[in-house]
Amino acid sequence: MYIYRCEDTLESIFTAIYNVYEDKHSNDEVLLALDDEPRLFAVSLEVVADGVKVEKVVRTIRRQFGETDYRSLCLALASPDEEKAQAVYKTVAGGLVTKCKEGHLFDNLADDSVNKAFKLARSADREYCHLRGFVRFEELEGELMYSQIEPKNNVLTFLMPHFADRFPEENFIIHDIGRNLFGIHRADNSDINESAWCLVQGENMWPENMKISSNEIKYQELFKGFCSSIAIDSRRNAALQRNMLPLHFREFMTEFR
Amino acid sequence: MEYIISGQNQSIMEKLSILTDAAKYDVACTSSGVDRRGNDRPWDKGGGRGSGDGIPRIGAGEPGRVKGMGNCAAAGICHSFSSDGRCISLLKILLTNECIYDCKYCLNRRSNDVPRATFTPEEICTLTLEFYRRNYIEGLFLSSGIINSPTFTMELICRTIYLLRVKYRFNGYIHVKAIPGADAEVIRQTGFLVDRMSVNLELPTTEGLRNLAPNKHRKNILTPMRQIQNGITQNKDEITVYRHAPRFVAGGQSTQMIIGATQENDYQILSVAENLYRKFELKRVFYSAFVRVNDDKELPALPGGPPLLREHRLYQADWLLRFYGFEAGELLDERRPYFNVMLDPKEDWAVRHLEEFPVEINRASYEKLLRVPGVGVNSARRIVAARRSCNLSFADLKKMGVVLKRALYFITCNGRMMYPTKLEEDYIVRNLTDKQQRIRFGSDGMSYRQMTLFDDGMFQRDISPTEQFRTAVGQI
Repeated sequence: MYIYRCEDTLESIFTAIYNVYEDKHSNDEVLLALDDEPRLFAVSLEVVADGVKVEKVVRTIRRQFGETDYRSLCLALASPDEEKAQAVYKTVAGGLVTKCKEGHLFDNLADDSVNKAFKLARSADREYCHLRGFVRFEELEGELMYSQIEPKNNVLTFLMPHFADRFPEENFIIHDIGRNLFGIHRADNSDINESAWCLVQGENMWPENMKISSNEIKYQELFKGFCSSIAIDSRRNAALQRNMLPLHFREFMTEFR
Repeated sequence: MEYIISGQNQSIMEKLSILTDAAKYDVACTSSGVDRRGNDRPWDKGGGRGSGDGIPRIGAGEPGRVKGMGNCAAAGICHSFSSDGRCISLLKILLTNECIYDCKYCLNRRSNDVPRATFTPEEICTLTLEFYRRNYIEGLFLSSGIINSPTFTMELICRTIYLLRVKYRFNGYIHVKAIPGADAEVIRQTGFLVDRMSVNLELPTTEGLRNLAPNKHRKNILTPMRQIQNGITQNKDEITVYRHAPRFVAGGQSTQMIIGATQENDYQILSVAENLYRKFELKRVFYSAFVRVNDDKELPALPGGPPLLREHRLYQADWLLRFYGFEAGELLDERRPYFNVMLDPKEDWAVRHLEEFPVEINRASYEKLLRVPGVGVNSARRIVAARRSCNLSFADLKKMGVVLKRALYFITCNGRMMYPTKLEEDYIVRNLTDKQQRIRFGSDGMSYRQMTLFDDGMFQRDISPTEQFRTAVGQI
């Protein structure tokens, strides 16, 4: 048994997948682990993320399985689950062995690893889809839009392209407070196509005394008013509302504050 | 264009509250059907259609340039949910709630004394943009009461949308109502600016419309619907030849019907919906349980509240029509024109067609799988994909999301049923419905009954949020 010890990053896990291939171990005697838990009769191997290897793995995955399945694998790796590395590895290895066609990586849902990876990807994708709608921006002084989120899965990487595409001419920041991660987008007035975004991680980076702009309160009030008058009283149904919009999202949403 | 309106000095807050309140019974509030990237800006090119409109275009980088924004996702995005559990996706407002019509069911009818308000086009644009950049909404849903004439109203809507698209460079989702009776040219012009258009059918039958909406005529409603349909077809042909031709109502058209205000039965309503899908190629038909907002002798009294269960069953059946290959005539017919209270339409069909079951999961065609209660579009697809690599067992089905609680009476895996069960109508019905409900409905489970118009108030069963959620996302 060989245990590859990875860090909780996409790069590290993809490097591990490459290392397994390089070391020519059979699929059954390999475990990709994110923890340091010792196991009996197992050889522990440290994984050091390597850009070249990552690129090779990504290229193979995209060529073999197509863009949709590549995206699903990335989403699965955004999950906080401890066993995600192993599930993704098994799925990819299984797909390469059976030479599955583009878009069919997750076909065999009766297989436990494929099923696990599929479920992780689905839950991360759901959270991404929810947050596309539930993210709320506040306008700070100087026309900077600021938003806080605290997602279970690390979906900020997926949210940024969506909002960069939506607001090409806005300066905005999405702050993942659980991971101390900032997605920063800079408006680029000269050419819409070249507006850029980046991710920055670090503690205590956000200044506490940021002021909201003069118009902000007015629009927040207008939206709260809109939300309450759009509801039909004779159809009131809090349980359905809770089902569609789980409570943990509401902490950061204007209309519930 | 000048028009006289009351309440010129209302604040924007008052206006928004009045005009939202007036628009809330419109149910067709989705943002789906269009996938447009942020840099795909068909209205930003300047020139082209509508030059000489008097709106100055400001070049990129010049001071005073408005920030362009917006994209659309094909599946639509819900931004919030109101306390009635309905999705808030678009800024749903009326341009005005002044109206020259006197439809009996409508809050804004001429004879009602309600506060009236009218937005200016600029106000609508500002609200939409400021809400949009805070990610409150996915776009604008604009409807209107009729002021002066249908054509005049439609022109106002068209001008507002033009301003929003061209001057304010808004690229998000826009859904407008086509006003029945408006001039065809204005509707056509508007169609090139919006993503979805809808004409409200209001009531399922001509008689119902005549009784409750004396100013509206069936013919007037169907004319713009046909016009939009033809426009969309023609536009598709244009786009195959000229890839960059302007898109006409790219998200398709929808409509809505009020349920329970008139005497129609479920079979009639479902047949109307089926016809609309087939003959008018609508994207969606929405059903709106009648809420009694006006006291009028023509309107039914609803002691049990709006007929929500009926609306719920209609939505379920609607999904079956669109994605499950069912026909209206299979679900209901003249002899049994109402939906079952206890069973959903698919279960109801299945227990009446036991000769089709059990279905062997590992061999049956996709179409057959779709007809099994507890198997939805997603799980049917997954089954078809997964059984290529192995023989599926009941445990596998559970992992794939099949609701075995309902499916187990109708399926076999490798020739075996999950438990020894009887393929018998009464036995299955007894097991599909829960005991508490059977007692409440005065049934011992040995026989089950149909829903009739008169039951509506008496047998108002609560719909569980799980059921409603399933219907909302189409897992039936």
